[in-house]
Amino acid sequence: MRYRVRHSTHYRYSARVTSCYNLAYVLPRDTRRQKCLSSRVSVSPQPAITRTRSDYFGNQAYHFEIQRPHRELVISVESEIRVSHPDQGLNLDLGISYEQAVQQIRKDRSQQALNAREYLLDSPMIAASEELAQYAHQSFAPDKSLRSCVADLTSRIFSDFTYDPDFTTIATPLAEVLEHRRGVCQDFAHLQIGCLRAVGIPAKYVSGYIETLPAPGEEKLVGADATHAWIAYYCPDEGWVEFDPTNDTPAHTQHIVTAFGRDYFDVTPVKGVIFGGGDHPQLSVSVDVARLEEAAP
Amino acid sequence: MNQSQSINQTPVGTPAGPLEYPSSPGVLDETRGADGALKPGWDYLLDSIGNLGAEVMRQREQKARRILRDDGASYNIYGKPGSASNSWELDPVPHVISSEDWSGIETGLVERSELFNLILRDLYGPRDLIRHGALPPEALYSHGGFLRACQGMQMPGEHELILHAVDMVRQADGTMCILSDRTQVPSGAGYVLENRTVMSRVFPSLYRDSHVHRIANFYQRLRLKLTSLAPSGDIPRIALLTPGAHNETYFEHAYLANYMGFSLVQSGDLVVRNGFLWMKSLDGLKRVEVLLRRVDDEFCDPVELRPDSQLGVPGLLEIVRNGRLVVANPLGSGVLENAILLKYLPKIATQLLGRELRLATVKTFWAGDDADFEHITRDFDNLIIKRAWRAAGQASVYGGDLDDNQKQALLADIHRHRYHYVAQPRLAKPCIPAFNGTALEPRANLLRTFSVATDSSYTVLPGGLTRIATSTEGQFISMQEGSPSKDTWITASEPERVLQADLDEDQPRSLPETQADSLPSRVVENLYWMGRYAERAEASMRLLRTVFVLLNGEEPISPEAQRILLQTVSQATYTLPGFTAATPEQLANPEPELLQIVRDGKRSGSVRSTIESMLRAAEESKESLSTDTIRVINDLRDALDNLDADLVGGLASAPEEALDPLVTALAGLSGLTQESMIRSVGWRFMDMGKRIERSLQTIATVKGLLSSVGGEMDQSVLLTAMLTSMEALMTYRRRGRERHGMELGLELVLLDRSNPRSLIFQLERLEEHLQELPTSDPAAGELDEEARALLEATSTLKLTRLPHLLQTSGSTRPEVNALMTQLAGLLREFSRFISDKHFDHRSGPQQLFTTIRGVR
Repeated sequence: MRYRVRHSTHYRYSARVTSCYNLAYVLPRDTRRQKCLSSRVSVSPQPAITRTRSDYFGNQAYHFEIQRPHRELVISVESEIRVSHPDQGLNLDLGISYEQAVQQIRKDRSQQALNAREYLLDSPMIAASEELAQYAHQSFAPDKSLRSCVADLTSRIFSDFTYDPDFTTIATPLAEVLEHRRGVCQDFAHLQIGCLRAVGIPAKYVSGYIETLPAPGEEKLVGADATHAWIAYYCPDEGWVEFDPTNDTPAHTQHIVTAFGRDYFDVTPVKGVIFGGGDHPQLSVSVDVARLEEAAP
Repeated sequence: MNQSQSINQTPVGTPAGPLEYPSSPGVLDETRGADGALKPGWDYLLDSIGNLGAEVMRQREQKARRILRDDGASYNIYGKPGSASNSWELDPVPHVISSEDWSGIETGLVERSELFNLILRDLYGPRDLIRHGALPPEALYSHGGFLRACQGMQMPGEHELILHAVDMVRQADGTMCILSDRTQVPSGAGYVLENRTVMSRVFPSLYRDSHVHRIANFYQRLRLKLTSLAPSGDIPRIALLTPGAHNETYFEHAYLANYMGFSLVQSGDLVVRNGFLWMKSLDGLKRVEVLLRRVDDEFCDPVELRPDSQLGVPGLLEIVRNGRLVVANPLGSGVLENAILLKYLPKIATQLLGRELRLATVKTFWAGDDADFEHITRDFDNLIIKRAWRAAGQASVYGGDLDDNQKQALLADIHRHRYHYVAQPRLAKPCIPAFNGTALEPRANLLRTFSVATDSSYTVLPGGLTRIATSTEGQFISMQEGSPSKDTWITASEPERVLQADLDEDQPRSLPETQADSLPSRVVENLYWMGRYAERAEASMRLLRTVFVLLNGEEPISPEAQRILLQTVSQATYTLPGFTAATPEQLANPEPELLQIVRDGKRSGSVRSTIESMLRAAEESKESLSTDTIRVINDLRDALDNLDADLVGGLASAPEEALDPLVTALAGLSGLTQESMIRSVGWRFMDMGKRIERSLQTIATVKGLLSSVGGEMDQSVLLTAMLTSMEALMTYRRRGRERHGMELGLELVLLDRSNPRSLIFQLERLEEHLQELPTSDPAAGELDEEARALLEATSTLKLTRLPHLLQTSGSTRPEVNALMTQLAGLLREFSRFISDKHFDHRSGPQQLFTTIRGVR
C-alpha cells in the first residue's frame, strides 16, 4: 500500500517568540515492513539552521533553529510511504511459547537479543510496578504461544479501558491511567509496554499515523486522521511484532510508523525551547493520510 | 569567626618544644612502613614540622587562613548559605608521597584514564563491550548517566575523556585502592592549586627544601589540550560554564577561569545562534569554541536532555554534534561514573587493553547479578550500599549503621530495583598526621588525583586533593560535612630538574587580546549594580549617621525638623512608606524604625539588605575583581556580621559608631576601584552605577530636607544635615566667611564642579563614560535616548538660578521640589536606557508546549 501523509503542527503564541530550538520526530523511518519513499518538511518562519540525522534508535531526527521573531510556528511534513503486510504469521497459536520466549531472551547472546534487553528496563515515562505486573499476569500462561498472550493482553486493554481524550494529559502517570481505566492511544501504548516489560517481554513504543476509513457511504474528511501510537514486543523467533491496543489489532498496512523509542519521551513529535511566547500557546495538529495508486510494476 | 582571638591566646596545655607525631599502635598509619619506621618523605617533613613547634604552626595556620579568606576560597555547603562554615579548610601539614611511590601510582592512573577513555568511546559507539559479553546490557541501559542523545558524538583528537579524577585510599600493604571515578565535571583541581599557592607562601623554606614536584604544568597541559580542540584551529575563546555562585565549588570555577584565562560564563551568558555558540558581551556576540563545563550532563541542553534545566544552553548538543563546539568533558561522560562498571573492570580491561589494571579497584557487587545479589543480602551489615547512578539526596549508606526497619526497607528497594544498586566493602582509610591547633594527631585520609588528556596519552597532576576526617576517630570524609583538605606533596630526594620550557609555562601567560577584552554582559551588569548598591549603602549610612548625631545631640531639635529628617531617611533609603506614613508618636520615638532601616536584612532598602545585594553582585562578578578588592569585600562581610553586636545598645549608645566599620570598608572599596582597577568596560559601568546612585541620593536628600520651609532654627539644622551627610560642611564653613545660608549650601551640593560629591560632578562623569562605551559612535548625528536624558538633566541643572530655586510659597519651596523630581526622573530614564541597551534581559527559556495526542 502506498500512502501520502500530510502532517502539520501549528503553534500560536500569545507573545512574540524571539528564537526557538527544536527537535521533531515527524519524518517517517524505514522499518521491516515500510519504506519511506520521500519526505519533505517545511517550517515557517524560515529557520536559520535545519538538519536531519539518524538517532540512537534509527529514527529520523529533524533539528531546526529559528532566529526571527514570530508569533506562529508551522511545521508541515509531506511524506510518501510504502507499507506492506507484516510478515509475521497470523495464526495466534503457532510460534514460541511465553515460557520459552522469556528463557531465550535471557540466554540468547545474539546482537538483536542483547539489544532487545534494553526494552525490558524502566524508561523515562514507564516504570515497573506491582500493579502493572498484576494486570498483565492473567494473559500470560507459560505454555501458551507468546503471540496469543500478547493478543489477549491487547484485547483486554481494548475492552477494559475507555478512550477519553479529556481524562489524561502528557503528564498523567501510568498508575492513574491504570486506576481509572481511561486514556488515549499513548496511555494505552505505555500501559501495554509496562505490562509486557513486567512479565519479561521487551516492548517498545511506536509513534506514527493510522489511516482512518470513513463509514460506508461517507466522504473521508481531509485532516481528520491523527498521529497515533502503538507498541512492538520482541519475540525471539520473529523479532519485533507490532500490536495496537487502542484498536485491538496487530499493526497492518494502515499503520504507518514515524519512530520507535522506549516511550513517548524518546520520540515526542515536536519538542524544544522557546524564548518569549507568553502564556497559553495554542496548538493545533492536522494529519491527512491518503492512499495513492500503486505505481505500475 | 573568632580566628583573631586564637592568634593571641596560647591554649592551655600547649606543650612547649617540638611537635611530636608518635606512632599509635593499632591505627593504620600511612606514615610508617611495616618496620614501624617513618617512610621516606615523612621523616623529613615531620622532623621539620616538629622543630617549628606548635606555636609557630599555629601562626602559620592562621596565616594560611588569612590568605584563603583574602582569596575568597570557599566551599558552599548546601543549606547553609553564607554561613561561616563555608570557608575552605586547609590543614597545614601536607600529605607526603615519595616520588618512587608516586611513579607507580602515576603509571597506574595513566593506564586507568586510557581505559576509561576507551570505555567512553565504546559505549557511545559500537558497544562492543556488550556485544562481546564483557558487560551485561542492563549494566549500561539501566544507568541514568547513559545519554542516548550522545550516541556517535566524537571529540577531535585521540581522546574523548579530557579530565579524569580518581578517589583512592591506601591499603595496609601500601598499595592504592581506587574507590570511584569522576568523569562528568571532575572538581577539585582548582582547590589543589589554591592549596599549593597557600602552602608555598606559608612554608616557603620547608616547601623549597622538600623538593616538591610542581603542579603548574598540569594546568598548562589542560589549557593546551582545550586549545587544540578548537574546531577552527585558531586560538579559540575558551569558556568555563558554571552553574552559578550558589554552586558548592563556585570558588574554583572562578579561580580556574581566572588562572587559565577562560571566560567564566553562566547559562544566560551563552546563546546558540546560526549553529554556533556565542557569549553575550557588551560589544556584541563572541564565538565560543571550547566549553569547559561544570554543569552536569543532563542539565546542559533543555532541548534534548532535561527539559526543565535552567543551567544549560538550548541547542548545545546539536552544535557539538555538528563539530561547531567542543565540550569538555564530553556530554554523556557521566556514564563512566556508573559504579557497576567497577565490577566488570577486569573483564573490560582485558577486552580493551589486553591486560588487567595495575591499580586495584574496590571490590564491587552489583545487585543486578544473581550471585552478587545473594552476597549483598547475606553480608549486608558489612557493606556500603550505593546507587549505581548518584542522584541528589541519595547518599550511600553503610549496612551496619541501619536499624532493622531501615535495613528491611532498603533491602526491599534493592530487590525492586536490582539494577540500580551496588555494594562495596568498607575499606579502612589510613591515617596521616593533621594539626589540631596544639598537637599532631592521626586522621583518616582520602586522595583525589587528576589526569588530563594530552596529544598521545594522559598527564597526571603530581599531587592531588587530600581530604581528612574531622576527628581522629572519624572514618567518614565528605566536603559537605566540612572535612578539611591538605596539599599533597610528591617529594623527591633530589630537587626536581626544571626545564626552561616548564618555567616558561609556569608564568600565567598573558591572555590573547580577544579573551581578555570582553566580559559576559551579565558580569558587567553585576559590576554596575555593585557600584550602585555600594554607593547607596554608603550614602544611606552617611545620612543615618548624621541623623543619629542630630537626634542624640545636645541641642534638642523641633518635632518638625525631626519629622523632615526622618522622612528624608525613608525616601533616600527606599524604605517607603516608613516615616512618611508614621504617626506623631512614631516620629517622636523613631528608634525601632531606624534600627530596622539599619539592620533588618528582610527589609528592602535597609543598610544590611543593600550591602547584601552588593555582596551578591560582587560574587557574580568576582572574576573581574582584584585580590585587594576581594579582601575589602571580605572585611565588609565581617563588618556586616558584627553589625548586630555593635548595635546591641540600640540608639542610646553612639549608634553612628556602629556604622563606622561599614563606612570605612565601603570607602576602601571605592578607593580601590578608583585607584587600582583597570579602566575596562567593567570599571566604567561600575563607576556609572556609582555616579547614578550618588546623583539620585543627592537629589533625594535635597528634596527631602529643603522642599519645605521651617523656622530659622530648623533651617539651620536641615542645612547642616544636608551638608554633613554630603561631607560639605567644612567647605561650607570655610567659604561661609564671605557668604552663607541656603544658597551657598545648595551651590556646593548641586553646582560646584570642584566638589566630587556635587550633582554636576556626577553628571559630567556620566557624560564622559557615555562617550567611551563600546557602542558609542562619535560620528553619529542623532543622540541616543540615554545621551538625550543625560543632556537634558545636565542642561537643566546648569541653567538653574539658585535664588529662583529657593523661592518659597507658603511653607514650601516648589521649585526645589519640581527640579529634584524632574532630575530624578531623567536619571532613572538614563539608567533604564543604559540597562536596556547593554544588559541582556531576555526572559529565560521555556519548554515548547507539546501535547500532540492521537485518536483511535
